[in-house]
This record gives sequence, C-alpha cells and structure tokens, in this order.
Amino acid sequence: MFLSKIWFFLVALAAAASATVALVMPRPAQRQVDLEEKNRLGIACSVIDIVLADNARSRVELAGAFARAPKIVNALESASGAATLDEARMKQVRDIAADTMKGVSGKGPDFAMLVDTKGRVVARVALDEGDFGDVVAGRPLVDDALAGYLRDDIWAQNGTMYLVSAAPVVRRDPPVTYVGAIVLGNKITNELAKTVVNGLNVDVGFYLGNDDVAGNRTVALDHAPMLAALAKLKGDDLSVDCRSDQFPMEAGNEDFTGIVGRLPGEAEAHQAFFTVFMQKHAERGFMGTLKAIQKSDVAFGKFPWILVVGAFVVALAIGIALMWIESDRPLKRLQADAVKLAKADSERLSEDAHGGRYGSIARSVNIHIDKLGRDAKSARTNLDQLLGPAPEGSLGTIDLLAGALPTARPGGSAPVSSPPPSDFKFHDPGPAPRTAAPSPAPISAMAAAPSRPAPPVRAATPPRGSQMPPARPPTPVPAAAHNQTQPLHLDDDILAPAEPSIDPYFKQVYDQFHAVKKSCGEPTAGLTYGKFSEKLVKNRDDLIAKTGCREVRFTVYVKDGKAALKATPVKDDA
Amino acid sequence: MRILVSLGVLVTSMAVARGGTLVGKLDLPQTPSAAPPATKGFLDRKENPFAPVRAIDVAHQIVIVVEGDEKPVSPPQVTWELVGESFAHPVVAVPAGAEVIIHNATKAARTLVVKDNPKLIEPGPLNPNGTKSFRATDVGKSYTVGDKDAPHLIGHLVVVNTQFVAYPDESGHFQIDNIPSGAYKLKIWYRDNWLQRPDEAISVAAKGKTEINPKVAASAFATATAKPEK
Repeated sequence: MFLSKIWFFLVALAAAASATVALVMPRPAQRQVDLEEKNRLGIACSVIDIVLADNARSRVELAGAFARAPKIVNALESASGAATLDEARMKQVRDIAADTMKGVSGKGPDFAMLVDTKGRVVARVALDEGDFGDVVAGRPLVDDALAGYLRDDIWAQNGTMYLVSAAPVVRRDPPVTYVGAIVLGNKITNELAKTVVNGLNVDVGFYLGNDDVAGNRTVALDHAPMLAALAKLKGDDLSVDCRSDQFPMEAGNEDFTGIVGRLPGEAEAHQAFFTVFMQKHAERGFMGTLKAIQKSDVAFGKFPWILVVGAFVVALAIGIALMWIESDRPLKRLQADAVKLAKADSERLSEDAHGGRYGSIARSVNIHIDKLGRDAKSARTNLDQLLGPAPEGSLGTIDLLAGALPTARPGGSAPVSSPPPSDFKFHDPGPAPRTAAPSPAPISAMAAAPSRPAPPVRAATPPRGSQMPPARPPTPVPAAAHNQTQPLHLDDDILAPAEPSIDPYFKQVYDQFHAVKKSCGEPTAGLTYGKFSEKLVKNRDDLIAKTGCREVRFTVYVKDGKAALKATPVKDDA
Repeated sequence: MRILVSLGVLVTSMAVARGGTLVGKLDLPQTPSAAPPATKGFLDRKENPFAPVRAIDVAHQIVIVVEGDEKPVSPPQVTWELVGESFAHPVVAVPAGAEVIIHNATKAARTLVVKDNPKLIEPGPLNPNGTKSFRATDVGKSYTVGDKDAPHLIGHLVVVNTQFVAYPDESGHFQIDNIPSGAYKLKIWYRDNWLQRPDEAISVAAKGKTEINPKVAASAFATATAKPEK
C-alpha cells in the first residue's frame, strides 16, 4: 500500500495545487484589470488636461482676434482717454462687442468684457450687461492683459466656473499704444464636460470645493474622498496630478475609481478641480471567473483537452494499477487461501505467500488456529481421561475439531493420530497409554460385548425434553480450566464427597455409565454421582465455549472392554 | 471756553496752512520688463506681437513718508477705497491713531481680513458701498488686508508717525502740501517694507515749493517683495 499512498499523496497534492492555481489565477488578472483601469484613468486625465489646454489655446487666439478688431480698438482708445465712463459709451462699446461676437464661428464665448487702460470695465456682453465702470484691474488675467500678455485663466464666481482668456488691445497705428484689454469667457458646462471625455470611455466632473459645477453624466459622487485626494496634491506643477493615487468612490450602490486634477488659475484658490472617474469593475474571483468563461474558451482548438484527458487517464490507470498490485491481488490471494482453509483443503494459511499486512493477518489466523487446537486437545484429554474414547461413527465431534488441528504445533508435537477432540476417555487412575484414539464404537456394537448387550445409541443418549442436557450456566468457564492439559484422574476426583444436587440428565448418564462400567467388570466403588456430574459440567462448558454449540450430549459406550463416554456438541435443534 | 477751544483749533489750522509744499520725482532704477505671473492658466502667458510688454508699475506700490520732530496731528479718519478687484492705492500709510475706513466702492460684497490680526476688522461681509473700520495705533506696524475669496485682492497698510505722506504717480512724481517749515526725514515704503536706503534729510521752506528727487538704487529693493503677491 506504500506506493498507493504515495500516489494518493501525489494526486492530492496535484489537486491542491490545481485548486490553489484556480483560486489564485483570478488575482493577477484582477490586478491587471486594476492596472489597466489606473492607466486608463491616468491617460484619460492627461488627455483631458491636453484637451483643456487646447481649448485654452483656441480661446486665447479668439481673444487675440477679438482684440484686433478695429472697432474694438477705437472704442477702447476713446474710453481710456475719458475721465469717467457713462452709460452711452457703455452701450456703444457693448454693441460693437456684441457684433464682433456674432461673427465668431462655432461655439463663441459666453461673455465678453472690455477694459480700458485704467482697468475699468467699459462694457460687458452677455453677462451682467448693465454693469460698467468697476475696476477689474488686480485680477491677474486682466493685469497681464493690460501689461501686454495673452493668456488664459479660470474664474470662479457665483458657484460656477468660467474658462477665460484675455488679450491686450493695442492701437497698431503709430504711436503704438495699449488702449485696453478684452476678456472672453466660456462657462464650464455639462456639454463641455461631454466634449472633453468624448471617446475616452471615462467620466469627468468639475467641482468647486464641495460644490458640483458640471459633469458629463449625472451622478451624485461622494465628495469626501475627492477632497481628501485633492488635499494630498501639492506643488505648483499641476501636470503631475494625473499621476497621483487613484481612490475609490461611491454613488449610491455604484462603486467608482477616480483621480483628481487641480484646475489652474484663480479658481485653484477656490479648490477648483476635476475628477476623472469610471465605474469600478467588480472583482471576479474564482466564481466570477467561472461565470465569465465562454463556450469558445473551452473549445477544442483553444483548450488542451488531449493533455487534460490524457493526464486524467494516466493518473487513473496508475492509481488502479497500484491498488490492484498492492491491495486487490494480495487480498484475492488471502481470500483464496481462506477459502481453502474453510474447505479444509489446508490446515493453515500460508504465511509466506502473503506479504505485508496480509501476511500478518495470516499469521494471526494461524496463531489462533494453533490456540484452538491446543484447547481442543486439552478438552479431549480431559474427557478421554474421564470417560474413555468415543464410539466409532459418532457424528459431529471429530469433524468439528480434529480437522483443524495442525500436524505440527508450536506448543509441541501433535498426536500421531488425533482422536476427536471432544472424545474423552474414562480410564483408571493408572497410566493409560496415549496411543492413537480408537474409533468410538457405537452402543449397538457395545451391545455385542460378552458381558451384556450395550444399550442402543438412542437409549444411551438421554431423550430431549425434560431429559435434555442442563442449560449452560451463566458464568463463563475460567480460561485456566480451558487450558488445562494435565491428565485428569477421574477416579480420584469423583471419589470425593458427593454433590447434594442431582441433575436428571447427568444422573441418567451417570446411571448408564455406572451400569456399563459394572457390566465391563470395572470397579465402581469410588464412582460417585457428584464427581461424575462435575466433570460432565466442566467438559460441557468447555465444548460450548470452544465450538459455540447449543448443548452437549454425552454417549456411553464400551471401548477396549471398558466403559467410555463421548461428548457430542449439538449445533441446533435438528 | 468753547470760543477759546475753537480759536486754538483755528490757530493750529492756520499754522499748518502756512506750511510749504514738497514736490519731487522718484529716481527709480530700471524695473524688470515684466512682472512674474501671479497665476497661470492651462497655458503660459505669451507676449502680444504688436507692442512691447509694459514694465512693472513700481511707483504704484510706493508711499513717500516725511517725518519730522513734531508730533503729528492725526487726521480723524483715513479712507481706503476698494475699487473693484483692487484697492485704489494698494499701499497706504496711516498716521498713528487714525481710524482707517475701508469703503467698498464695487458692486460685489467682500470679506476682508487682516492677515496679521484677523480680529482687527469686524468679521462679516463688506457690502457694496459699505464700510469697515479699525484704528491703527502702533507706529511702524504694517498690516496686509485681503479677501480670502479673491486672493489677488491685497492691500498693505503701514502705521507712521506723521501725517505727511504722498503716493507717486506712474512716472514717480509726488507732492505734499502744507508741510510746516523745518527739518524732516524722507522715507520710502514699498509694498510691505521700507526700502533699504538711508533716511534722507530734507528741509522744507516756509513758503513756496521745496523740490527733492529721491534716488532709489536697485539694491534698495533687496528686502522688499520683488514680485507681486498672490
């Protein structure tokens, strides 16, 4: 069984390894998915940065073009020279600016602001059109534009954000002078958000601190993780924000992964940022991976069925072979040997033919057989000593025990010709020759004895019913009694004081034995019923213990001119 | 008694009125051609192709302070105008003891806070056309006033021991009227610090104009904030 166990261990190890691989395999795949999500978000974030920068470039160019419009230049030059600004001038300049805005192709600005050299708002278009005269100098975008720069910025006001651009308005006719600045703004809207994530397969939202400004989809994201991630962003270089750590977010029952990027300009001071996010893929795990398997995954061309089936068949064959070699075959041998033993074709199991534990089983069985033989021998000796040999042709007793006796015994040499183990001879106290057991003569044969005819067999056996042998006493016979091998001198024993109780059956056997003994001319002076019945009880109990029989019948017969007694186990009622 | 007090005030006023006038022009070093950007958008700013970029208006952030031996007669109030996205004077000098009144001349409410002393100005929004006031007492103390919602909106205030201050124009010209005749020291405050130059002793005549053209070396700006504040 050693190789079978090794094989079982190897198969179990392979199964455990396969299960481990099956359980672990989804994790690298999940990591890969996470990495791809992270890369996708990071790339999308960078792309959005690029798109917004490109948008800013377009807006700055538009502001430059706006600032070059001659009517704008003239209007602002006139306003800059005025000590005060009035409404009439404001309306005049506003109309000019509005006409200019109409001429812009595509998505034009959402508002325009015209500023003179002093930083005063000369006119506004499309947003707060009635306001003018306030000073917007001081805002970095306006200051830079008045100083001669074109640039972009993000303004946060009234809970929303504007992508603004500005350009100086220069009178290009000599003497070249600055006459003001133009500021154009585009509101950050959902449409803009949809534009910047178009084709990226991610979502984007724009936020002012804890306030939603715009997004390409309506989803109520939890702001806390976004603000926490925003707080971690440090430094002036906003381009590295897209390489920051991603974080999980929730919106209702949906899980998202997001990354934040700060928005530049004035709005940065208002915690303006955008979040690129995407719905988080559920972790597949083992079961998820199983569910995701498609029919094509296990197609013959893609899956190594030959290898798998071949490995299975080989493993199965090796296992079966090892079991046959180490278990089935030796068991079959032992079984055949046991059948032989049962059929009395052999007296013992062959110990050398069985290896390992089967050999151990055979040895154990043999040892027990030897023990049974010794016990039977002891019992027979006792009866022989007590009653003499059994009559010839008696049934059951010889077949029951003598056949199992080995020819050679560990405990000593076996008798050359073993008498029936249950036969016991009633002999004189003198040394009785222990020769081959004589065939027990039937009572009918005994009847042919010269002295007086022996009683028929049936007559010698006590009838059933009230004359059946007494029941087995409840207490088991001591082992020492079973193993007793010393010759028993019945006459010595039975000459002891008689027992006061009389069993009818034993009394009947006693009477028959006493009569036959007298008929054979043997002395009966010391033969008492008490000692006689005691011996019968002991031998009966021994036989019942050894053979498992239900009862024991005693037969009185004549052997070699002497009275003898035979004990016959009765297996059943038949 | 009331007549005597009124007479005393009148005499004092006549004495002040009798003073001379200090005029001059700052001789400033060549300033950088461009101020560094206060903020940055998605793109770097770029110069326009038609005209050179305008230089930094240093004079706009300078206050000329003339201090004498006499204890100043503090004006009862100094009004600091908030015009849109900036103060009319981004830098002001206030005589010690004067009440500073900030007037919001814009159409938007502001929430002003003194950076060094948040409790100096009463908390709450400064509504359009509204005022907030505080009293400046410690001579030499400077304050930075700003709006947390508009980081670009910053004003500097310094408390001085005189009422004779002047704000030069873009070209550096300045003028202080009604200065009593006598010896004074001329000091220049730039944004949030004194310029590093020896105090200039000047003598103001009793009548007419006293002209002085203070020269400011580039090294004088060494400790002053060189770039615009965010």
